[in-house]
Amino acid sequence: MKRDSIPILRVGDTLLITVHTELHDTVAEAFQEDVLGAIERSGAAGLIIDISGLDMVDSYVARVLADTGRMARLMGTRSVLVGMRPEVAATLVRMGYPMEGVETALGVDDGLALLATARVR
Amino acid sequence: MDAPVDAVERFTIQSESDIALVRRRVREVAQELGFDAFATAAITTAASELARNVWTHAHGGDSAIARVLDGRRKGVRLEFRDRGPGIPDLPRVLAGGYSTARSLGLGLSGSKRLVDEFHIESTPGRGTLVEVTKWARY
Amino acid sequence: MARLKLDAREIESRRAFFELTDDDLARLASLRTFADRHSKEIVDALYELILGHADSRAFFSDEAMVQRVKSLQREYFMGLFAGRCDVPYVEDRLRVGAVHERIGLQPKWYIGAYSRYLRLLLDRMFADFKPADAQAAFSSVKKLVAFDMALAIDTYNVAYLDTMARQQAAIRELSTPVIRVYERVLLLPVVGTVDSHRAEQIMEQLLVRVVEEQARAVIVDIAGVPVVDTRVADHLIKTTAAVRLLGAETILTGISAHVARTIIQLGVDISTMHTLTRLADGIELALGLIGREIRPAEKKS
Repeated sequence: MKRDSIPILRVGDTLLITVHTELHDTVAEAFQEDVLGAIERSGAAGLIIDISGLDMVDSYVARVLADTGRMARLMGTRSVLVGMRPEVAATLVRMGYPMEGVETALGVDDGLALLATARVR
Repeated sequence: MDAPVDAVERFTIQSESDIALVRRRVREVAQELGFDAFATAAITTAASELARNVWTHAHGGDSAIARVLDGRRKGVRLEFRDRGPGIPDLPRVLAGGYSTARSLGLGLSGSKRLVDEFHIESTPGRGTLVEVTKWARY
Repeated sequence: MARLKLDAREIESRRAFFELTDDDLARLASLRTFADRHSKEIVDALYELILGHADSRAFFSDEAMVQRVKSLQREYFMGLFAGRCDVPYVEDRLRVGAVHERIGLQPKWYIGAYSRYLRLLLDRMFADFKPADAQAAFSSVKKLVAFDMALAIDTYNVAYLDTMARQQAAIRELSTPVIRVYERVLLLPVVGTVDSHRAEQIMEQLLVRVVEEQARAVIVDIAGVPVVDTRVADHLIKTTAAVRLLGAETILTGISAHVARTIIQLGVDISTMHTLTRLADGIELALGLIGREIRPAEKKS
């Protein structure tokens, strides 16, 4: 089955993926496959997932994002979630999913800066 | 739950993609009612959680979206109904007690915190009904 | 601005209630020539009333304006005989209503003017048509005019609700000033009691500003909050978690000895948050987070 793969950019030793559409159903699986495949091929040390295009993140999407980060970590890649919208952050926290353990940054630049520092925990 | 109800739109939830349809329509209605970004995100997310519960735990059901008016207040009321296995020990599930029903409990308790009114009826073996309301605020 | 959005379904509902049928609209369309023939004198007579009344005349600054408005009025008048009552028709009427509301023309002037329209039309209809036809024609016009009046009043309601909404938003913002103390560093002094409603607003406003300013550090000063109990602490924890999700850090300052005791005694765990007593220390910490520091100025000899 042909599907559009989400474009993954390379910035130095970091992969950057921007999520434009809703991350649901088969799109979520494809997303994970694409990201992990790219990590495998490139051996990148860092991954930045830009979710500034998402106007909603429910528990399903939150899990997909967190899992992707954990999968990347197993492969030796540190990931950072950037660009979360205010209403998305508020909703996640109100629901009780503060996504602890997922590193975050305001945008791509801050994400890259964060990756350049040592991981805190 | 006595506010007079205006137009009701019904949707069946027979596939995973139906969840997205419900979600989108809820978002549209919220925006038409003038909900701000935070309220829109809240009700849309609650709808997504509850619709997903219907699909994942009951393998299908229906939902309804209604605009409600209560004097000066206007809001949106969502209904999710299924004939699934029902939820035993509802209070404990809502508190996140059972690991097997964890996602169900999280979806329910999470949604509860995103809306103004939350009503649930569930009979093991018969099905579940969840009704939520969110009012627009100034 | 909140726009009154009337969709096809709502229009159908109103048409049904106002008993405005397709026959009525067809009849109105068939009266177009009649309307055109009389439009100038009817509009002139309408403005005779408006300009003859001191209070309503006040809306017209000069003759040029009167002429402009008269020609718009003729268009409006002819719109009654277009034979349609669909979304574009309604949107057009709402636009007119919005303009009137903006210039402060109250419903009483509207409704008085409509009343005159109807009387002027009635006279001419009975002059030009057989009584039965005139009766039918007038009945259709009355229905559409009533429909239009409801729209006019709706725009006023919407404008009023809108004003209230804006005032509430302004009050909220005033009570929660988010200050940019340095590039990418925000300060939020919280003063007064914080109930759940206010806490939500505070969090939302803060989150929006963090993204707007791309702030990496947020200082929340609670020295001005009289009571810090578990609920308030909970809001602070939630806000900190949300700010973190955006990619920024929160520094809580203004923790007095009393508040420190209360929080520990209540068993609230805020140990993972940056917490300080003095605002100045919070500012220094925040600056440190963005790679800046405050040090003594070098003496110039």
